[in-house]
Amino acid sequence: MSRKKALLTLLITLAIAWGSIGAMLLAGWAPKLGLDLQGGFAVVLVGPEGTDPDTLDTAVEIMRRRIEELGSVQEPEISVQGERSIVVQLPGVEDRERALEAVGTTGEMSFRPVLDLVLESPALTDPDGDHPDNLDADGLSDPDDVHAAIAYLPSEDGAFVYVVGGAFLTGSDMKGGRAQFSGTGGHGGAGGWVVVPEFTDEGGEKFRLATGELATFPVGSPQRRLAIVVDGVVGSAPEVAAGVSPDEGLDPNQVVITIGSSDNPQAESEDLAAILNYGALPTTFERERVESVSASLGADSLKAGLIAGLLGLALVTIYMVIYYRILGVIAMVGLTVFGSLLIGAIILLGETQGTTLTLAGVTGIIVSIGITLDSYIVYFERVKEEYHSGRPLRPSIDHAYPGAFSTILKGDTVTFLAAVLLWLLAVGPVKGFALTLGIATIVDVIVSYYYTRPGTWLVAHSALGEGGWFSVRGAMGKSSQPSIPAESVEVTS
Amino acid sequence: MSVFTKMYRGETHFDFVAISKKTLIVSAALVVLSLVMLLVRPLNLSIDFTGGVVVTVENEAGVDIAVVRSSLEGIGQAGARVQLTGDGLILIQTEALDAVSQDELVLTAATVAGTDVNAVTIDAVGPTFGAEVTQAAIQALVVFLIVVALFITWRFEWKMAMAALAALAHDLIITGGIFALFGFVVTPATVIAILTILGYSLYDTVVVFDKVNENVELMHDQYTYTEIVNTSMNQVLMRSINTSLTSLIPVGSLLFVGSFALGAHTLREFALALFIGIALGTYSSIFVAAPVLAIWKEREPDWIAERKRVERKRGGNKTVVTAASVPTKVETVPAAPSAPTGASGAAARAPRKRKKRR
Repeated sequence: MSRKKALLTLLITLAIAWGSIGAMLLAGWAPKLGLDLQGGFAVVLVGPEGTDPDTLDTAVEIMRRRIEELGSVQEPEISVQGERSIVVQLPGVEDRERALEAVGTTGEMSFRPVLDLVLESPALTDPDGDHPDNLDADGLSDPDDVHAAIAYLPSEDGAFVYVVGGAFLTGSDMKGGRAQFSGTGGHGGAGGWVVVPEFTDEGGEKFRLATGELATFPVGSPQRRLAIVVDGVVGSAPEVAAGVSPDEGLDPNQVVITIGSSDNPQAESEDLAAILNYGALPTTFERERVESVSASLGADSLKAGLIAGLLGLALVTIYMVIYYRILGVIAMVGLTVFGSLLIGAIILLGETQGTTLTLAGVTGIIVSIGITLDSYIVYFERVKEEYHSGRPLRPSIDHAYPGAFSTILKGDTVTFLAAVLLWLLAVGPVKGFALTLGIATIVDVIVSYYYTRPGTWLVAHSALGEGGWFSVRGAMGKSSQPSIPAESVEVTS
Repeated sequence: MSVFTKMYRGETHFDFVAISKKTLIVSAALVVLSLVMLLVRPLNLSIDFTGGVVVTVENEAGVDIAVVRSSLEGIGQAGARVQLTGDGLILIQTEALDAVSQDELVLTAATVAGTDVNAVTIDAVGPTFGAEVTQAAIQALVVFLIVVALFITWRFEWKMAMAALAALAHDLIITGGIFALFGFVVTPATVIAILTILGYSLYDTVVVFDKVNENVELMHDQYTYTEIVNTSMNQVLMRSINTSLTSLIPVGSLLFVGSFALGAHTLREFALALFIGIALGTYSSIFVAAPVLAIWKEREPDWIAERKRVERKRGGNKTVVTAASVPTKVETVPAAPSAPTGASGAAARAPRKRKKRR
């Protein structure tokens, strides 16, 4: 290794490590804190056996919309976990009862006859008119009352307001629905994406009667349409096709819903099928896990973690510097490089993937201090070993590295394997721990190669290599003799 | 020269294998005791594994346990465990409850403690979710052990993998025994701690075995396996001590700050498990993994032959030279495979394991 190369490697490493964390902090980025550190509320909801993934996604969408309507939640995290669980994390939520209600009841699906289609709620355009009770500020009806004889409900994109009648069919009348490509079904026989709803026997009969009634209205009239409503929002409002006999209605076993003009008819039909499946769920979601952390408890935990980390660092610094002298200083500066890269990675993951730093993650960081310091210790002990076997100081520094690095690599591989397995197999807090631990092992290898090696080399070749007690030579202990002292040959019989 | 000076210079010559014949007995006794302890007093699992509800609320009204109990009886929760903590909290733990009963419980707790409903902290786990968490944890552990065994077998050899697993089992069982003895609660955080312990213990063992393997290549035609292991352990001794100290210091401060100074109870069990485990992990890689390996390998025909040859070479009598006399690096021994002298199988097979060296 040449001085120029060592210096260049070291400077680039320091610039990347310190520069990136500095830039992130200047940009106002900070690690995203998990629920347990900032307080908040989490629920795990579990759907019934056999719930399909699309249905779960629909439920997630509905929950998200409801949570956003609450307004007070900063960054809700709602995600599907495993086969049929939904994890709802609401950091900083204050009104827990309302939040629970919002995610607990995700709204019933219903089929309701359309009475009129307008641009704005009639309650707003005609304040003095005769309107249903319980309208909200936008003049819209309560989503939970599906049987109200008249209700004002928004379309999905919010562009229209449907005036609808009481539900003639609800989720329990449905078996579900599926999206399929039909060669003849849609667009006047030209083929296209359609949704095939499936009814229970009773539901099919209700559907037949209702569509018969709708068929009495002229083609093109809003009243010929039926609104498919989920959680107070009209997801779709297909019109009963021309030529359907008012006496017979639509045959529930042969009905298809065609998708109108759309950029992505396939996605749209799949969405509608998911809504039908969601509505057909026999039971709602069960609360499997409820967890709430008061904001003050979260702050206490964070404080405890930070203070413990700093105190630990201070004590370790004292120990390392006393034991390894200037080499200990190299290790402690290296720890800031390691910390910068590790925290940088966590911040980056938080910003891009929404990964949060939990208490388990913080403990993972504290644990990784030990892991990374070990890499220095392995190396320095090897240097001492080389030195005591009679090699001069500077060649010892060079000669010890490859063997030390190989050991570090093996050790980090085992820990990394452990972290990956944990991350894949475990749930909840263990995942956060596995993540920081896994990143830490990678960072450790990088720091060892691009910081420790050139750093130690440069220090050994500087004035600090030889200068007395605190120098690299000072850290080696007194002896520089090849050590095969005769006294140590202990012969026993 | 004092022992510490020798340690500082890496010039110690402890006969670890001989010492560990005694410590192995102690370890075995501790393992048996821990197993008995685990049977007599099963682990105190948190609700995360068993399912249940824990409600925590600040006791603003300053009521005593009897009042809390009677109000709980009013909502049919007579079986609940009620606890008043030193820092003025009421803890109520019940079996797993449905959503309605949970809400009822929260409301009751808030009323009796004289606080707002939203100030009540609730942690509720359904029984199936708890079972899933437990299952996931066990699954993770088993897969982890298999993969680690395969990795060590691949990088080193299967007997090292088994010795490492023996050390792991030693650490795990004794940690479990200590938890059972004191009735500490096992939480998911404790499980994390245990997995970390596994990592540490393994890391330590890998470092020792790496050194053993390296020394086998350098020393195989002059020393017995036990001597090589002894030399290796003397060489890594300071690393092991320093590493466990620098790992224990942060964890120790977590234990101290987390549990005593700031009262963050969630951290206590975690830090405690880590502290016990890291100390055990360091101990077991030196006094369990390596000796088990040495004793086991010494029984291999190749190494028996090697021992006899070494003894013959050293003068024919039964003199055993401890590894103490081995220089830390045998630079003069050529790394190139040398023709085995005599009928030594060890010399013949060791070069096969030689990896590319610097």
